[in-house]
Amino acid sequence: MGSVRIGLSQFFSIALLFELGTALVVNLGILSGKDAWVSILLGGLAGILVFLGYAYLYWKHPDLTFTGYTTKLLGKAIGVPVSIAYIVLYLNLAARDMRDGGTMLAMATMHHTPLFILSTLMILSSAYVLHKGIEVLTRTSLVFLMIVLLIGLFSTIMLMLSGSINLNRLLPVMETGIQPVLESVVRQSYMFPFGEMVCFTMLMPYLSNSRKGPWVIMGAMLTAALLLAYTMALNISVLGADIVERSPLPLMPAISKISISDFIQRVDIFVVMVLIIGVFFKMSVFFAAALIGISEVFKLPYRKMLYPAALIILLTSMVDARSFIEHLDEGGRLLYTVYPFFMIVVPAVLILVTAVKSHFSERRPD
Amino acid sequence: MTARRDSGTQSGAKAAGARADGAERRLSLDLHESLRNIQAEVGYSPDIKVREIRLGPAPGIQAAAVHLSGLTDAQLLNEFVMGALLQNAEELTDNPVDELPKLLLGRALEVGEAAIAEDWNETLIAVLSGDTAILLDGCTVAIICGTRGGEWRSVSEPTSQLVVRGPKDGFVESIATNISLVRRRLRSPKLRLESMKIGTETQTTVVLMYVKGFASDDLVGEVRKRLEKVAIDEVLESGFIEELIQDKTITPFPTIYNTERPDVVVGNLLEGRVAILVDGTPFVLILPAVFTQFFQSAEDYSQRFDIAILMRVVRYLSFIVLILGPSVYIALTTYHYEMLPTTLLINLLAQRENVPFPAFVEAMLMEIAFEFLREAGVRMPRVIGQTVSVVGALILGSAVVEAGIITPIMVIVVALTGIASFAIPAYNMAIAGRLIRFAFLLLAGMFGFYGITLGLIVMIAHMNSLRSFGIPYLSPFVPLSVRGQKDTLLRLPMWMMNPGKSPQQMRAELPKSMQITTGHEAVLSPAIKKNEEMDRKREGGNSNEPE
Repeated sequence: MGSVRIGLSQFFSIALLFELGTALVVNLGILSGKDAWVSILLGGLAGILVFLGYAYLYWKHPDLTFTGYTTKLLGKAIGVPVSIAYIVLYLNLAARDMRDGGTMLAMATMHHTPLFILSTLMILSSAYVLHKGIEVLTRTSLVFLMIVLLIGLFSTIMLMLSGSINLNRLLPVMETGIQPVLESVVRQSYMFPFGEMVCFTMLMPYLSNSRKGPWVIMGAMLTAALLLAYTMALNISVLGADIVERSPLPLMPAISKISISDFIQRVDIFVVMVLIIGVFFKMSVFFAAALIGISEVFKLPYRKMLYPAALIILLTSMVDARSFIEHLDEGGRLLYTVYPFFMIVVPAVLILVTAVKSHFSERRPD
Repeated sequence: MTARRDSGTQSGAKAAGARADGAERRLSLDLHESLRNIQAEVGYSPDIKVREIRLGPAPGIQAAAVHLSGLTDAQLLNEFVMGALLQNAEELTDNPVDELPKLLLGRALEVGEAAIAEDWNETLIAVLSGDTAILLDGCTVAIICGTRGGEWRSVSEPTSQLVVRGPKDGFVESIATNISLVRRRLRSPKLRLESMKIGTETQTTVVLMYVKGFASDDLVGEVRKRLEKVAIDEVLESGFIEELIQDKTITPFPTIYNTERPDVVVGNLLEGRVAILVDGTPFVLILPAVFTQFFQSAEDYSQRFDIAILMRVVRYLSFIVLILGPSVYIALTTYHYEMLPTTLLINLLAQRENVPFPAFVEAMLMEIAFEFLREAGVRMPRVIGQTVSVVGALILGSAVVEAGIITPIMVIVVALTGIASFAIPAYNMAIAGRLIRFAFLLLAGMFGFYGITLGLIVMIAHMNSLRSFGIPYLSPFVPLSVRGQKDTLLRLPMWMMNPGKSPQQMRAELPKSMQITTGHEAVLSPAIKKNEEMDRKREGGNSNEPE
């Protein structure tokens, strides 16, 4: 890897922003009704466990990316196709993310602007930032994390002052037992957004401190789980589980309940801003992961494939589905059919191989 | 002064040597040939003055003093060069001609700065800089006497970066005066100057200034390296140097700070930065410069720290208003009008009823008109300055509203951004903001808040990719440094900005017994007084008991 080193605070912010990303505004873990926040917390813990596996792989190969050690461990014949599959996954995830973001944006405010134009602007900005380098992306995330957190703080205070929060809507916790919660964890919340951390295996070689780094990222995941659970609890306590379940972007109607003496009202534009920032950084991280993978597997300079990859993401996001409903349906199915293979099965195999190899190689010197 | 002079001649010689393609040219043995050569080289310019004299008793040694009229200090030349030469040279003329320059230098000349020049180009440049060259017949060296002088603007209040409280002197066009202004404030032997000549035609003196032990050697070395690389014909202003040594040119943001204020230079030197002084301009460059530096004013340190923080916050706010003001207005009125309170919205729509343009065109027209006004105001002769403000602000502003072309609220928004641009202390940062404002205007006109948010992301990413001599432009915010926050957005009290010193060490504190109390305890409240007396009695009683 190059000489670029990214500090811990910047890694924390990019990981946190990546996790909050789109998850902050959608109805996450809603399969479990008003216990969605419990489901998110459990999902977060499960995600951290999965991430421990990635961290193990990273500690064993601190200078290699995921594609790097896949090729090293499985040999070129298997490793390269697997790496290419991962690159396709990242490109696809970036595209799906952009579709999500673009459509939500069109639903929320930009009713008349074509989706293609919105997506083009987004991918161009992302390409510009990545052209400046991954370090610039992570540094920028630090500034925008502050903005997102400030917006969150402001909205919370305003919601409290408007008196829209009714905590009774959250009660009783786990009315029908733990069954639905666990089901929603398995089907939704541990993969999205926590399992998606698999793309950080491509970025982790840039960490300035290889010992502490993964722990910092796990700290970011925990913070993200707490914030997401808090947001979901806030949504439900403002709107009630019923409305949240039926709304694609529950944070919007929740925030629009803010009304202070007819002056501060309809501040849902802040939610749109959070949405844009979240989508941008999430998509950019996937984009960056794909670019690093491409430059490693095909031995190409990083910037050379920037615009072709941007074009692929843009077109994939457009032809991904005929409608948003189809897109969401597809996403829901991918979540428990395809993604676990990439996010758990393959890393598990790699962990096994690494463990066996290091076990034998350690013994040899004796 | 002497230090500068010494190093100045050295590197001057270096520069001149390089100019003559390495071949060293010397003066001719024959005085008249040398004089003819000089005259020919400058094209028989009428302001070159040659005064031929004979030294010593008749027939004496032929000599000539060459100088440029207008660039020399006439009194210095007459009294301490010519007068001294003619009076003191008599007993020296017995010596061989070869040794004469040294003897004259040592025993005859009374002028403070003098040196021997062996090189032709060095002599010529010295004369063109205002020094006097003394040439002797039969001798291939010249004596250079420092007689630079002539007319300069005197030290006056700076025209930019004004303060209410603080020193009122500003730099002038003379580099010697500028150096003295800095030296007068910083009497430390650690202050180092390095002089060089830049500009193949203008031969402008450029001085690199830093405080040894404060500025890192790497930084000084890097600046020196970049300055030496500069290859340009003319250096008329420090901006020429700035453009050629900055890290990256494709950015609206300035990465080198400039100031007219000596106190700012001294403050920055002591913070470990490097200053570059250029002869002929009052603007001194300071580097490396980060984003936050352009929002600081010298006055922050002469006011109370809480007031200073308020002033700084106002400046950052004004920058945000400058770049986002009109674009947020456009986004709100064209895309997200549901955010506005209903009464305000009705008011706005009523105003827009008769206006033929969309808000974006309206804003663009007004912003461009405002730029015209500002540019006219800056370049125009002072005498008709009043007219522009009357015509521009009053007639244009009110007529355009009465004619129903622009809504009154748009005039308010544009005026607000205009004023906000003046609240930023650094002019070059304000210009950058004015430029970026148009980009945001376009984004907001097409995409509303979506465009603004993406524009902000791209702008901050761009700023993150900038570096000023290796320092990240947005530090100490990104990368985050808690220690660095002491003097950026905040301006903490002096004792908190100097680690390792307690407040007691830094400020004179009265002993406890002399500190001012409310007086309430002792005088106003008899009850407290009584209690205290009783306490004292009891203590006194206790201590008395053993006796």
